Amino acid sequence: MKTLNTLLSRPWIWSWLAALATFALTVIVTGGASTFGLAQATLTFAAFSVLVGLGQMLVITLGPGNVDLSVPATITLSGTLALKFMDTEPSLILPGLLIALGIGLLVGIGNYGLIKLLRIPPIIATLSMSFLIQSLAIWSNRGLRIKPPDALATFSTGSIAGIPNMAILALVVSLVVWWLLDRSICGRWISAIGQSPFAARMAGIPVDGTRFFTYVICAVLAALCGYLLASFSGGAALNMGAEYLLMSIAVVVIGGSAVAGGNSNVPGIWGASLFMFLVVSMLNTYGFGAGLRLVLTGLIIIVVIIAASRKTADR
Amino acid sequence: MTFKTILLATAAMVSAALPLSAAHADTSGKKIALSNNYAGNSWRQAMLTSWDKVTKEAVAAKTVAAADAFTTSENQATEQAAQIQNMILQGYDAIVLNAASPTALNGAVKAACDAGIVVVSFDGIVNEPCAWRIAVNFKEMGRSQVEYLAKRMPEGGNLLEIRGLAGVFVDDEISAGIHEGVAKYPQFKIVGSVHGDWAQDVAQKAVAGILPSLPDVAAVVTQGGDGYGAAQAFEAAGRKTPLIIMGNREDELQWWKKQKDANGYETMSVSIAPGVSTLAFWVAQQILDGKEVKKDLTVPFLRIDQGNLEDNLKNTQKGGVANVEYSQADAEKVIAGAK
Repeated sequence: MKTLNTLLSRPWIWSWLAALATFALTVIVTGGASTFGLAQATLTFAAFSVLVGLGQMLVITLGPGNVDLSVPATITLSGTLALKFMDTEPSLILPGLLIALGIGLLVGIGNYGLIKLLRIPPIIATLSMSFLIQSLAIWSNRGLRIKPPDALATFSTGSIAGIPNMAILALVVSLVVWWLLDRSICGRWISAIGQSPFAARMAGIPVDGTRFFTYVICAVLAALCGYLLASFSGGAALNMGAEYLLMSIAVVVIGGSAVAGGNSNVPGIWGASLFMFLVVSMLNTYGFGAGLRLVLTGLIIIVVIIAASRKTADR
Repeated sequence: MTFKTILLATAAMVSAALPLSAAHADTSGKKIALSNNYAGNSWRQAMLTSWDKVTKEAVAAKTVAAADAFTTSENQATEQAAQIQNMILQGYDAIVLNAASPTALNGAVKAACDAGIVVVSFDGIVNEPCAWRIAVNFKEMGRSQVEYLAKRMPEGGNLLEIRGLAGVFVDDEISAGIHEGVAKYPQFKIVGSVHGDWAQDVAQKAVAGILPSLPDVAAVVTQGGDGYGAAQAFEAAGRKTPLIIMGNREDELQWWKKQKDANGYETMSVSIAPGVSTLAFWVAQQILDGKEVKKDLTVPFLRIDQGNLEDNLKNTQKGGVANVEYSQADAEKVIAGAK
């Protein structure tokens, strides 16, 4: 009983319960025949949301006003430039990955440069940055779709023992971020800044360095997501990042991390990412029209958030 | 040669040249602007490239004085309305418009008409009566897919429908056409419907999510830009590839070609050529030229079949969309064909 109570008091448990419930409801339609296929599809697509969600979570943990709106543009630019550079050449897979990560690094530096040096609020800074990056992506190859090298495409769509490679990769990254947030001093700093930047500064925490580091991590994860997503879906497209703006913020909120910052958790990102894919699949499977589907998606998300935040308040 | 003779010679040359320049089209001093609401996908990029290519030649040939393209950054009707107001102030003679909304720009369009500016809308058309419309018969595009399927599989089967962006007029029209077709050929049944937002990765994700719960799918009806994503989702799920209608994107055609060579896979592909912007340009030029033009014109589809797949693939830019650019003569034909 005690373990159950501790479990229920975790803010992330609600996203997991919601994901399991939607999974069960979807599988019931086919009498269980779709269990494996659906689980595999869910894990694959949730992996991309997890990658961007983790970065966004760290940024949001920094406290009110901190959010990175340049995530979708970064996804597009890194996918576009990396695939253009590799040009289906298998020997360039690794350099291509480095280029993608380098783009993330530059975007992160640019974002924090705007925020710190020009004293622009993060929302405006990252939004204007995203215009710059998106234009660069358009300019660099005019939306042309270049295929990934075969080996990379096979890897990104493949699976080991039934578990999609993308999900394994996202799990590894999640473990690193979990260690960073929950076990390392840097994670304590991030949370402390989110709880009170003034107190954090007084306590001698390097506030600027930590914030800089966080924005860079977020952009690098978005760039990694762009590289993998472009390889997975057979080429980069100019609008490939579009749905990951709201997705990255939604999985943070649904996962039970505090919107006001200072308190975050990694498991919730997974629960929320699985849930976000499953809820659309469920409503598609039941054959609801687009209007009703969007209304239901909204309502279900509200219910999950209320459940998660009520529990947090009780503690 | 004295200064006087040079002067005389120059005068003679100028007067000799004068009737020549008068032989140019009457539109040589006219300025045409393109107001475009969105540039963030390959179709729109091809549309802008076609515009650039064709109008540059037209400007060089002195058919018109200028043909500048402007794209709004946020795909918002308010932003585009402001853009049109600017064009009015800048003194353009005609505005070619791909509109963010069929109704929300009516005020700005009316203001342009009142200022004596010719407004020609295409693709994303406006319903303000003073503007010209080069519309696509999207319903027919949807219906023709089911018609094709009825010919290919007379015994019918289950269909998966991939729709576009929810809430957009084009999506409703194509889908209505598909449903009309299914009503006419009741041997087909739509067993699932997802929104793919005209993007391969979104379509792939949506199809992957619904596929495990679907019975055997005989064919996939699409809206363009989603066929390749659907094919990948079927492949990833380890299911037999159904007949997928394509939408003229290079990746779709490439995939089709590969299947055709490997196992004789047969399908068809239909969409609107992004070069429709150049048709709109020539229509605007014809109107400025004083031609009588009906307010409602229809663009022909660009359909690719098993037979002309290779030819079209050859002419399609890597990663682009199958395209045709229209000429002045094409515009005259479309104008003459309108009733």
